[in-house]
Amino acid sequence: MKENSLFDFKYNKFKLDNGLDVILYQDKSLPTVSVNIWYRVGSANETKGKTGFAHLFEHMMFQGSQHIPKEGHFYYIQEAGGTLNGSTSHDRTNYYESVPSNYLELVLWLESDRMGFLLPALTQEKLDNQKDVVMNERRQRYENQPYGLTWEILFSNLYSENHPYHWPTIGWMKDIEKFQLEDVKNFFRKYYSPNNASLVIGGNFEIDEAKSLVKKYFDEIISFEDKNINTLIAPEEFINENKFLVHEDNIQLSRIYLAWHTVKLFDGDDPAIDILAEILSGAKNSRLNKSLVFEKQIAQDISAFQYSGNLAGSFIIVSTAKPNVELSKLKEEIFFEIDNLIKNGITDDELIKAKNQFKSSFIYSLQKLDNVVDYLNFYNFHFNEPNYFQHDLNRYESVSKDDIINVAKKYLSKPYVQLNVIPKSEK
Amino acid sequence: MIDRTKAPVSNGKINFQTPEVKVLTSNSNISIYFVKKENLPIVYTTVICEAGSKKDPVAKNGLASLTSLLIDEGAGEFDALQLSDEFEKLGSIFASSVNHDYNNFTLLSLKDNFESSFYLLSKILTAPHFKQNDFDREKKKLLDRIIQLQDEPSYIASSVFDKIILKNTFYELPEIGLISTINNINLDDVVKFYNDYIFNNSIKLFIVGNINEHHLIEIVNQNLSNIESAHSSNDNFEKPKIKEKTFYLVDKKGSAQSELRIGHIAKTRNSEDYYPTKIMNTILGGQFSSRINLNLREKKGYTYGANSSFGYFKHTGIFEISTAVNIDNTSDSIKEIFFEIEEIQKNINQEEIDFAKSYLIKQFPSKFETYSQVAKNIESIVTHNLSFDEFNTYQSNIKNVETNEVLKAARENILNEYLTIVIVGDKQKVIPQIEKEFNITPTELDKEGNEI
Repeated sequence: MKENSLFDFKYNKFKLDNGLDVILYQDKSLPTVSVNIWYRVGSANETKGKTGFAHLFEHMMFQGSQHIPKEGHFYYIQEAGGTLNGSTSHDRTNYYESVPSNYLELVLWLESDRMGFLLPALTQEKLDNQKDVVMNERRQRYENQPYGLTWEILFSNLYSENHPYHWPTIGWMKDIEKFQLEDVKNFFRKYYSPNNASLVIGGNFEIDEAKSLVKKYFDEIISFEDKNINTLIAPEEFINENKFLVHEDNIQLSRIYLAWHTVKLFDGDDPAIDILAEILSGAKNSRLNKSLVFEKQIAQDISAFQYSGNLAGSFIIVSTAKPNVELSKLKEEIFFEIDNLIKNGITDDELIKAKNQFKSSFIYSLQKLDNVVDYLNFYNFHFNEPNYFQHDLNRYESVSKDDIINVAKKYLSKPYVQLNVIPKSEK
Repeated sequence: MIDRTKAPVSNGKINFQTPEVKVLTSNSNISIYFVKKENLPIVYTTVICEAGSKKDPVAKNGLASLTSLLIDEGAGEFDALQLSDEFEKLGSIFASSVNHDYNNFTLLSLKDNFESSFYLLSKILTAPHFKQNDFDREKKKLLDRIIQLQDEPSYIASSVFDKIILKNTFYELPEIGLISTINNINLDDVVKFYNDYIFNNSIKLFIVGNINEHHLIEIVNQNLSNIESAHSSNDNFEKPKIKEKTFYLVDKKGSAQSELRIGHIAKTRNSEDYYPTKIMNTILGGQFSSRINLNLREKKGYTYGANSSFGYFKHTGIFEISTAVNIDNTSDSIKEIFFEIEEIQKNINQEEIDFAKSYLIKQFPSKFETYSQVAKNIESIVTHNLSFDEFNTYQSNIKNVETNEVLKAARENILNEYLTIVIVGDKQKVIPQIEKEFNITPTELDKEGNEI
C-alpha cells in the first residue's frame, strides 16, 4: 500500500436541512459498521455550581427515549452483537456503536430517537438512579484511586475560577447531588440539536442506502432555534508567579506534578510541544527517564505530555519518587534537564525517533474502525474537513530541532503550578 | 412521521470468513502460527514460553516477573538504552509481560521494519545481557511497584482472592511476586530461570501480518536458529480443595468504596460444558445488560459497574464476581449478589438465553479486527489444547446449546455453599454491616492475604 493512500480517507459529506452534518466512509475489510456522533458540548459549557452536567447528561442518553425503553440502547445493540458507549471531554460529547453491517438501520433508529425524542421519556426516578451511578463512578475512578484526585486539584489551580477548564469533567460531588430534572431538560434543548451535531458512519455499507437511511431517521428531527451554540471564548490564562500545593493521599510513594500554560489544540506550537514531550519522557533513553529513572534512580516513573483542548492547553510533567527521595530532588533534576535541552539543543536522532514513534503509533491506531470514525469527526469538528489525517501528520513531520528548543524556552520558562502528593501520615 | 415503535430488523446476512491459520515449523523446530492480514502495513508478533509465575520457587516468588523485566535491559550488541533506541527508530513497540502460566513477548511493527525489529526481538530471546547493575535497578523497580500496588484496593482484592481460592497450588503466588520473596532473588537465579524456562524450553510464535509466508520463515530461521525447542516442562498440579463459604476482610482505612470479589475455583477451558457456562455467565454478569449489573447499577445505584466471569488458567478455571460499591452499601450489595446467584439456579427464561446467544454469535466477527486480537485468539486455541476448527464451529456451538444445559451449568458450576467473599474497605464501616446482615464476623487478612 502506498503511503499517500494510507492516510487518505475518502468520504461523502452532506448536510440535512435541519443542520446535521453527515459523513460516510466506506471500508469493506470486515462485515461491520461503526456509527459515531459528536455533539458540540462538553464540560466547558457548564457553569459554576452546575459542574459535571455534560457527563451526567451522557448517562441520561442511555436511559431510553420515547420509543426505546430504559437500558434499551444496550439491549438492542448487544443483541445485535455490537458494542456501544459514549464519552465526555471538556469540548465535546460523543456516542458510538459498532455492529455487524446488517444492523446499520438499528443503530440509526436508536441514535435518532434519543436525538429527537429524549424528553418525553425522562423521569425523576431515572435521574436519581444515574446520579447515584455517577457518584459511584466518581468514587471508583477518582476518590478511591491512589493519586485519583490530583488532576482536579491541578486543573482548578492552573485555570482561574471562571475559566471553563477550571472544574473536572465528572464535576464536583456537591454539584452532582443537586441536579434537577428541569436542568436536564434545558441542557438538552440547548445543546442536543441536530445543527449542533455531526454523524459519521464508517465501514461496510452502500453509500446510497446509508444516505436514504440517514434521511429516513434524522430528517424529521427539528433543530432548536439557537444558531452557533458553541461560541465559547475563554480569556488567555496567565499565572503571575509559581503556585505551590500539597495534597495528602492514601499512598506510600510521593509524587510531583508540574504544569505550565501552553497553547490550544492545533496552534502552530502544538506539534512541537508534543514532540518535546516525547523527547523528554517517551522512551527509556528519553532525557528525563534516562536521568531520573535509569541513571540516578531517584524516580520510579516519569512522564511529560501536552494536554491541549479547544480553549487552552497545558504541559504537564508527573514523576513518582523512590522511597525516601525528596520531591525537591526530582524537581531539581527535571529543571536541570529542561535547561540543558534549551542550552545545548537536541540531536538529529532524538528528533527522528520521536517523529517515527508518532507516525507508527498513528498507523497502529487505524486498526480499529471505531478510532477511524472518531478521527473523522474530530477533524470535521476542528477543520470542517474529515480527511485531515495527512495534514495532521505533516504538522509533526515539519517540526525542526530549533522549534523544539523554542517551545521549551517559550513555555517552560514561565511560572507554573506545582503539586506535591505525599502520604497521609507524613506531616 | 415514520413509525418508530418497532426496532428495525437486520438487513440480510453478513459474510464472514474466519482467518486461515498456517502452522509452520522453523528449522530449529519452533512452532509458528501464522495468519496473513493485509489491510494495513503492520506485522504483530507474540512469543510465549511456559515461564510464568507458576515456575517461581515459593521462596523466590517474583522470579518470573523480574526475568521478564530484565530480559530487554541489554541484549546482543546493544546495551539497555541502545536497544530501546533501536526499537524507537523503527517505530516498533516491544513489550514483555508475565502471567501465571506464561512469559509473553510482543512486537508491533510496520511491515517495512519487521525484519529489523524481529532481529532485535531475537537478540532479547537468545542473548540477553543480564548485567548486575541492570538487575539491581530492575529489582528495586519491581519492589517499589509492589509498594504502589499495595495502595490500589482493586489489586489487593484480586490478588487476595486468588491466593485464597488457589491455596496450596502454584497459582496462589501473585504473578508479580512479594516484597519478602523478591528480596531473596539474586542475578544467578534470573540467569538459571531464563536458561531453564525460556532458552531451553519450548517457545511458540504467533504472527499476524502483512507478510509473505516464505519470507517470514526465512526471517525466523535466520534469527532463531540457535534457540532450543526440544522439550516442554511439566507441571505438577493438584486441584485445590474447595472451601466452605467464608467472608474475608482487608482493612483500607478511609476508603470511599468496598472492592468485592466473590467466587471459587472452576473447571478448565476445555471442559464439556464450556459453551452452556458461557451463555449462563453472559446472562448472570458477563455484559452490561446482565442481571448483576442491571440490579446493582441501574436498579439500586450501588456501583458504577459489576460483572462476573469464568477465567481460565492452564490447569484450572476460576469463577469470580467483581465490583466496587459505595461503602455504605457493602452488605446490601453482597446480599443482592447472593440473590442473583440463587435466582439463576432457579430460573432462566428463554428470552434471556436467546439474547445471550445472539450477543455471542453476532459479536464473533468483531473479535478479529485488530492484529493483536487475531493473535490472541490463536494463542488461546493453542494454549488450551483446542483445535483451530473451533473458529469455524464457535457460532454453531453456541447456537446448539439446549435451554436445560444452561440451567444445569448454573447449578453445577456455581457453588453457593462454597463461595469465598473478599472485601477490601474501611473495617469500621464494613464489619458492622456484615455482622448485622449475615450474622458473621469476617476473617481479617493483611494486604498479602495472610490471617492477622
